[in-house]
Amino acid sequence: MSLLADVRTLLDRAYAETRDQRLADARRRVDEPLRVAIAGKVKAGKSTLLNALVGEELAPTDAGECTKIVTWYADGPTYAVTAFLKDGHAEQRPFNRIQGAVQIDLGRPADQVDHLEVRVPSARLRRHTLIDTPGIASLSTDVSLRTMAFLEAEGERAAQTDAVIYLLRHMHGSDVRFLESFHGDGLSTGTPVNAVGVLSRADEIGGCRLDAMDAAGRVAERYATDERLRRLCPVVIPVAGLLGAAGATLREDEFRVLAAVAAEPMSDVVELLLTADRFASAAGRFAAQAPGRRRVLQRLGLFGVRLSVRLIREDIVRDAADLARELTAHSGIDRLREVFTAQFVGRSEVLKARSALAVIDECVPAESWLAAEAERIRASAHEFVELRLLHLVRSGRLPGTDDQLARLDMLLGGQGGAAYHRLGLPAEAPPARIAMAAKAALASWQAVGEHPFSARELRTAARAAMRTCEGILQVV
Amino acid sequence: MTTVTRGGSVTDVLAEISDARQLAADAGRSDLAERLERTAERLRADDVAVAVVGEFKQGKSTLVNALLRTDICPVDSDVVTAVPTVLRYGRPPSVSLQIPAADGRLESVPVAFETLRKHITEGEPVDGPAPRSVEVRLDRRLLGAGLSFIDTPGVGGLDSAQGNITLAALPLAGAALFVTDAAQELTAPEVDFLRRVLERCPRAFCVITKTDLYAEWRRIAEINAGHLARAGLDVPIVTVSSFLRMRAQAKDSADLNQESGFPRLVDLLRRDVLGAAEADGLATARSELGFVVAQLRERVVAEEAAAESPAAAAEIARRYAEKGRLAAARLGGGSWQTVLGDGIQDLTADIDHDLRERLRLMVRKGEELLDDSDPRETWRDFQAWAAREAAAAAVDNLMLLVSSTEQLAREVAERFGIEYDSLDVDLPAPDLALRKVGDLDVSFHKSGMQQFLGAFTAARVTYGGFYMLGAVGALFNVAVAAPLGLLAGMTLGRRLVRAERERQVQHRRAQAKQELRRYVDDVTFHVGRDSREAVRRTQRFLRDEFAGRAMAVERSAASAAEAVRQTAALPEDRRRERAAELASQRRRLDHLA
Repeated sequence: MSLLADVRTLLDRAYAETRDQRLADARRRVDEPLRVAIAGKVKAGKSTLLNALVGEELAPTDAGECTKIVTWYADGPTYAVTAFLKDGHAEQRPFNRIQGAVQIDLGRPADQVDHLEVRVPSARLRRHTLIDTPGIASLSTDVSLRTMAFLEAEGERAAQTDAVIYLLRHMHGSDVRFLESFHGDGLSTGTPVNAVGVLSRADEIGGCRLDAMDAAGRVAERYATDERLRRLCPVVIPVAGLLGAAGATLREDEFRVLAAVAAEPMSDVVELLLTADRFASAAGRFAAQAPGRRRVLQRLGLFGVRLSVRLIREDIVRDAADLARELTAHSGIDRLREVFTAQFVGRSEVLKARSALAVIDECVPAESWLAAEAERIRASAHEFVELRLLHLVRSGRLPGTDDQLARLDMLLGGQGGAAYHRLGLPAEAPPARIAMAAKAALASWQAVGEHPFSARELRTAARAAMRTCEGILQVV
Repeated sequence: MTTVTRGGSVTDVLAEISDARQLAADAGRSDLAERLERTAERLRADDVAVAVVGEFKQGKSTLVNALLRTDICPVDSDVVTAVPTVLRYGRPPSVSLQIPAADGRLESVPVAFETLRKHITEGEPVDGPAPRSVEVRLDRRLLGAGLSFIDTPGVGGLDSAQGNITLAALPLAGAALFVTDAAQELTAPEVDFLRRVLERCPRAFCVITKTDLYAEWRRIAEINAGHLARAGLDVPIVTVSSFLRMRAQAKDSADLNQESGFPRLVDLLRRDVLGAAEADGLATARSELGFVVAQLRERVVAEEAAAESPAAAAEIARRYAEKGRLAAARLGGGSWQTVLGDGIQDLTADIDHDLRERLRLMVRKGEELLDDSDPRETWRDFQAWAAREAAAAAVDNLMLLVSSTEQLAREVAERFGIEYDSLDVDLPAPDLALRKVGDLDVSFHKSGMQQFLGAFTAARVTYGGFYMLGAVGALFNVAVAAPLGLLAGMTLGRRLVRAERERQVQHRRAQAKQELRRYVDDVTFHVGRDSREAVRRTQRFLRDEFAGRAMAVERSAASAAEAVRQTAALPEDRRRERAAELASQRRRLDHLA
């Protein structure tokens, strides 16, 4: 029986016994898509990143602070908005879309609304629901509080999210503390296995010059080697959300504006691209008028505009589709999607099971047979063993050589859950090759596990690794 | 330091001081001449420190570079300023490091220009103890005008230990530039920090940088103005683009420079910061000059009285001798000294108590935190927490020290003023007494406030350069060691039953708490030693300052009595000549006061 089936059965029985509404909710949640929160400091670019991930202009964005209410974006048959109120009621709200962004008519003060749910027919939301949160360290303190309450699992409540994408603009003291609050102790609330870091607004690092993404890559690398940060989220990926969103939704008329700018004489191009002010409002004999340029600037940012104009001038791109592809490639959003798939989607079963077991822990008395059963599932499911071990590896608490730890991370599904991911093989590797690699890995971990000089923790880890290899061999 | 570029009034006051010094030397009062020399020196040498503060990667170093049209501060898209950099006027340009010596004092070590980057930025290890600050001397107009800039590190966020150290240096700064970029509106921690900046340095400006990169910078400035207004912070906002300023220099374009927004910032710095600081400095110098002129004048007036009516000379001489005796008794060992002595004692106790109280709270909170977690998991974060809290406690404690010593200086000055006031000598001849009322009291502001101002400004001088920076910086040398056996817990065989694990956690907690207490003890020792040193310095300064004044008053009285006797003894014609001389001297003094 699979892990989730076990959890479903246990939840059904627990609900039958206690009639606790929270258990019914948890039961429903097991069959829903994985819940992924996008969190970070105010103005870190959370809504922009959400739009880039979905590939649609959904969440409204603005120069000032914009998202003030926790908003869920989930797959649905048609566009619909539901407001969940603090008093437990839910109601449909009217909305309209201004240039794509969903503008919701709340009809009441924001502090009466617990969260909003926006249904969007989108294949990209089928396997996970994205949750846009208001920024922390916001000046409107109640906005910060709302986010903290939501992610921190206030009091006895288990977390509402299964995983989190955390946006870092720079490493601030408050950033690190925020991640800490998301991760409590042990498995029940959070471990570095369910967080991914994003160095957001990467295009603005180093003054929007054309080498900005390289600089961002260096910054992200430095973050990844920071022990404190690594313990909290194992990967940090530089992403230019604005570029990603624009790449997904670039319009023909926007390309024409950029092409017109690129066609001006060199000195004019330099002058126009010198400052954002000039590009947005310089008057003159330019073919592209100021209002059009202002719109493009808003959508792409100064870096995006500079990059696009260069790509067009150097004849690297010739039409809107080309440019959209290049922008997407520069944005780093594809890499984020890959990591996202490996870290969250591939592991969604165990993440969901974990969230559900946390609810059971909290709803039934510790000495009841239900709690014992939950404990049994935790202890026996190999997925949980892997997750716990991965946590140990990533938080640097497992003795071993760097090579051993890297191989272990991969074998435990750190790069993705598929057999070829775990063994470090290409996706098209034939079953025979996978079986061979698995056998080799099994032998090498067996050697580690039986070596008299291996540390005790490493021997335990090696036994778990062997079981993973055996699992792969069984499937092949 | 050049004086030519200073405002005209400074030149005037310096000329007056030199004139008065001549008079003092002529009258054989070398003590007063020396006093004036020191005053002139202070007026010439004091530059106004402008601290550039803010979160990191907001463009602080770039702002300083653009202001001074230089590239001396290292700027990089990733690497950040890790050591405070002080830029002041100097020719030829030079760089030196302030390195803590074994006895805790700072030593200045000159280094080559090329190595500057290595010393300022983080991540590149330097041999020996880390410098507390780096001093760069440059030949720039803005610096020559009497400004100096401190480029502070923003590492680790505003509520970090580093943020607290920056706050500690602020009471010494004449102004603060709070830097935030146009990428986003102010955040809650930033506004909080700005509030604490204003408590320590009332002359602050909010500088919004990188306006060239964001089309919406005007709206951001507007939103920020709203945030500041709602927070009740009265801080002017200046928007600048360092990029445009640099480009303006490269292209030699006045238009670009205007567009960069820097002319307004430079103007604010010159007018509001430099102007105000200069006014303070001038007031102090004038008050000093007034004191000396009054001392010189006393003798001239007394002598004039004696020249006019030699018969009264004996009486006048007697009164001045009496005044000298009184001055020696009252000012030399009067109640101001009691005020000072008692004040210092109270102050020491208060500061000590305050520090202990803060650290006691910190220990309690730290123990609560440790009780909630397993130190093995949280030790590194806990270390960071402890450093941050300790720095905050030290900084708030030092701030209390500054405000208390200033309060004490004011009380002592007042006390001294009262005792000084009661020493006035009424000259016997009625017409002379009238003249005295007319001239002397009006021209010499004896108000306690004026005297206090001098003492007060000088008192901050006793903190000396970057004393504060050093004091809190010392905390970095106090490391929180990892409790032994933090990692030992993992070797305990198969008996890892729940109870055993719990016992181990308890054990680790106990060790961690012990470690916390040891750390706090170290902090108490370091900060306590530094604040006791500061109190001693203050005491010595105030005692010397007022004792010096008392001595001057006593000597003036004695020399007046002596001069009266001599003048009275002169033959009629010589006395008339002397009267003419005295009248001319008095006119010179009138002119000075």
